[in-house]
Amino acid sequence: MAKVFRSPARHGYAVEVSPFIPNRVACAASQYYGIAGCGTLLVLDETETGVALVRSWEWSDGLFDVAWSEANEHVLVAGGGDGSLQLWDTNNHSAPLRVAKEHTQEVYAVDWSQTRGENLIVSGSWDQTAKVWDPALSRSLTTLRGHEGVIYSTIWSPHIPGCFASASGDGTLRVWDVKSAVCRLAIPAHKAEILSCDWCKYDQNIVVTGSVDCTVCVWDLRNIRQPVNQMLGHAYAIRRVKFSPFSKTVLASCSYDFTVRFWDLSRNQPLLDTVEHHSEFVCGLDFNLHIPNQVVDCSWDETVKIYTPACLSAATHKREKSWSKSSAWS
Amino acid sequence: MGGLESIPPTAAMHRLKLISGHLCPGGSAELNRDLQRAECGSAAAASGRDSPDDVVVVHGRRTAIGRAKRGALKDTTPDELLSAVMTAVLTDVGLSPDRLGDVCVGNVLQPGAGALMARVAHFLSGFPESVPVYTVNRQCSSGLQALLNLAGSIQSRTVDLGLACGVESMSLQSIGNPGDLTSRLSDVEKARDCLIPMGITSENVAERFGVSREKQDAFALSSQQKAARAQSLGRFDQEIVPVTTRFVDADGKQLQVTVGRDEGVRPGTTLEGLAKLRPAFTPDGSTTAGNSSQVSDGAAALLVGRRSVVEALGLPVLGVLRASAVVGVPPDVMGIGPAIAIPAALEKAGRRGAVYCVEKLGIPMEKVNPNGGAIALGHPLGCTGARQVVTLLNELRRRGRRAFGVVSMCIGTGMGAAAVFEYPGP
Repeated sequence: MAKVFRSPARHGYAVEVSPFIPNRVACAASQYYGIAGCGTLLVLDETETGVALVRSWEWSDGLFDVAWSEANEHVLVAGGGDGSLQLWDTNNHSAPLRVAKEHTQEVYAVDWSQTRGENLIVSGSWDQTAKVWDPALSRSLTTLRGHEGVIYSTIWSPHIPGCFASASGDGTLRVWDVKSAVCRLAIPAHKAEILSCDWCKYDQNIVVTGSVDCTVCVWDLRNIRQPVNQMLGHAYAIRRVKFSPFSKTVLASCSYDFTVRFWDLSRNQPLLDTVEHHSEFVCGLDFNLHIPNQVVDCSWDETVKIYTPACLSAATHKREKSWSKSSAWS
Repeated sequence: MGGLESIPPTAAMHRLKLISGHLCPGGSAELNRDLQRAECGSAAAASGRDSPDDVVVVHGRRTAIGRAKRGALKDTTPDELLSAVMTAVLTDVGLSPDRLGDVCVGNVLQPGAGALMARVAHFLSGFPESVPVYTVNRQCSSGLQALLNLAGSIQSRTVDLGLACGVESMSLQSIGNPGDLTSRLSDVEKARDCLIPMGITSENVAERFGVSREKQDAFALSSQQKAARAQSLGRFDQEIVPVTTRFVDADGKQLQVTVGRDEGVRPGTTLEGLAKLRPAFTPDGSTTAGNSSQVSDGAAALLVGRRSVVEALGLPVLGVLRASAVVGVPPDVMGIGPAIAIPAALEKAGRRGAVYCVEKLGIPMEKVNPNGGAIALGHPLGCTGARQVVTLLNELRRRGRRAFGVVSMCIGTGMGAAAVFEYPGP
């Protein structure tokens, strides 16, 4: 049974579980499906009986992504349709700590680096650039150009410092090195737009992409000529893909086909299950890195759902294997 | 937060376009040729803002739908059916008919699309002679076309308030006489295709688009189950106008009956039962009497007006017409009409749902005809379009939340029509 939070007239675009508080999630949501209108950032706590609203803030444009700070449990960053990044603090009820407006089009992706010693934010925008920021959002440290289409996703590698992957409407998956501000790899991963990407938490060479061509592809960066896995099943474009924090081979995808699917790459038939508990596009997805097998998703049907899919087997990886921001990946 | 005003319409359109591209990346160029679409200029519809010039539906009622030739309405002339619903709608809202600027009635089978019959109905209802009436025939969509015509008159400010209706007695008139057609018909393929009976076009669609007998039967079963459930839950009780009329039984005796229940619904339908039926149109076909729409009798009426006038009269708004589209498709597969018309209408309404790929609409089944459709309820040709709007808006109102709905149908001779309505909420 899923625990459900309803956000009337706000359509969820992204969810992320707090790295500090096991039962806390943030959700970036927008009015009018994000086509027009304003946005709302929600901080929710799972309770015994349901989901409670801890804090919410309004923004004058839609909000499309959210990332928790890896350094401070109260802080989060969101990306907006007006090209801005905003830094929010759960102790501050009204205004953002900081607003940074450099991108010239919608910010569709924000991520906060977890690698030790680093405390950086990366943003991806429809203006085709990615930007790296200090944690106070004072100004961007680097702007990375190269994509020839809108950027939908920018995700830090959990293994390699100063490295992030991006997914774009130009059909390429790119891997960037921030220190030298160059694109290290450009993989023509799909013939259609790529809406999401994520890193395997257990193998620094493995990246998954989700595309408008309805496939989920897994790539080994050492051999990019073809994917190591190609998963079919979704009936419409894939909106988000996420590797499990507890398993090297388990990942999840959510789609415009209203479903969330769970896959295990180690199986002959990788599809574990299809969860159909939404009545609109499912855009946001995250695994809880504290609670094995717990998943949170959000959909344009105005709900955020927290649940534990039966198909995910009991965690064999204990908590010490799940990465937290205080332990290092080396 | 008044965020809407600060978003330039071009940014909203850009976002919509990008998301559309996720759902229908290639599109189908060949099918696009058959589309006729007007530019979407309706920012108001996209933003959901209400305007005093909106075309709104105030109220709608319908008769029960009877089974043609055998059912309780088989001896009832269409003017009586039409009069019953027109009177009911105006009586319910307490509006005097002299307020009506025009009345438009959809009809297919009566001579002259029922133009004379409609005027007779008009007077049966005691309407003053000063209120005009006309009829429209766009085959199966006539009842919807009546609404769209009236909407056009309202938008052009020719009319403030009117009735959009539809009526058909398929007991008393049959599809049959195509009229006076040239002998050159045999030389022009698409012209010839217009004469293909609906059962054959259905077989063509089934074959060309891979819709198996099993799928058709499953859809039919679903229609019957949804209708039976809706009927038993009383979901149609509010919208149906009981009609007391004469009925001639098998022995020739005249009786008086009151008809208040859709006759076409068969609650005991099973897949096994449907599978036993023989194909009705071609020897090895998949279309049967069980998985086709029924021939029926019925009428429906809607009171429609400009929002400013409706509100000034203190009348409620049951639904808002947000957009519509009529498209042309190959006559020999006219059944695909809705697959083209629905996205066209939704795009004009600025809905994100606009962008379902034409070939696989992928609308979840529970959203399609939640209370049953033409297979279970029946399809009195000229009535259906108006009947669908009555049923749609009543169901959205029953659900009690602001919502959008779509009315759509395929059209004999190769067209599709769709209209998007918004129920504003309780």
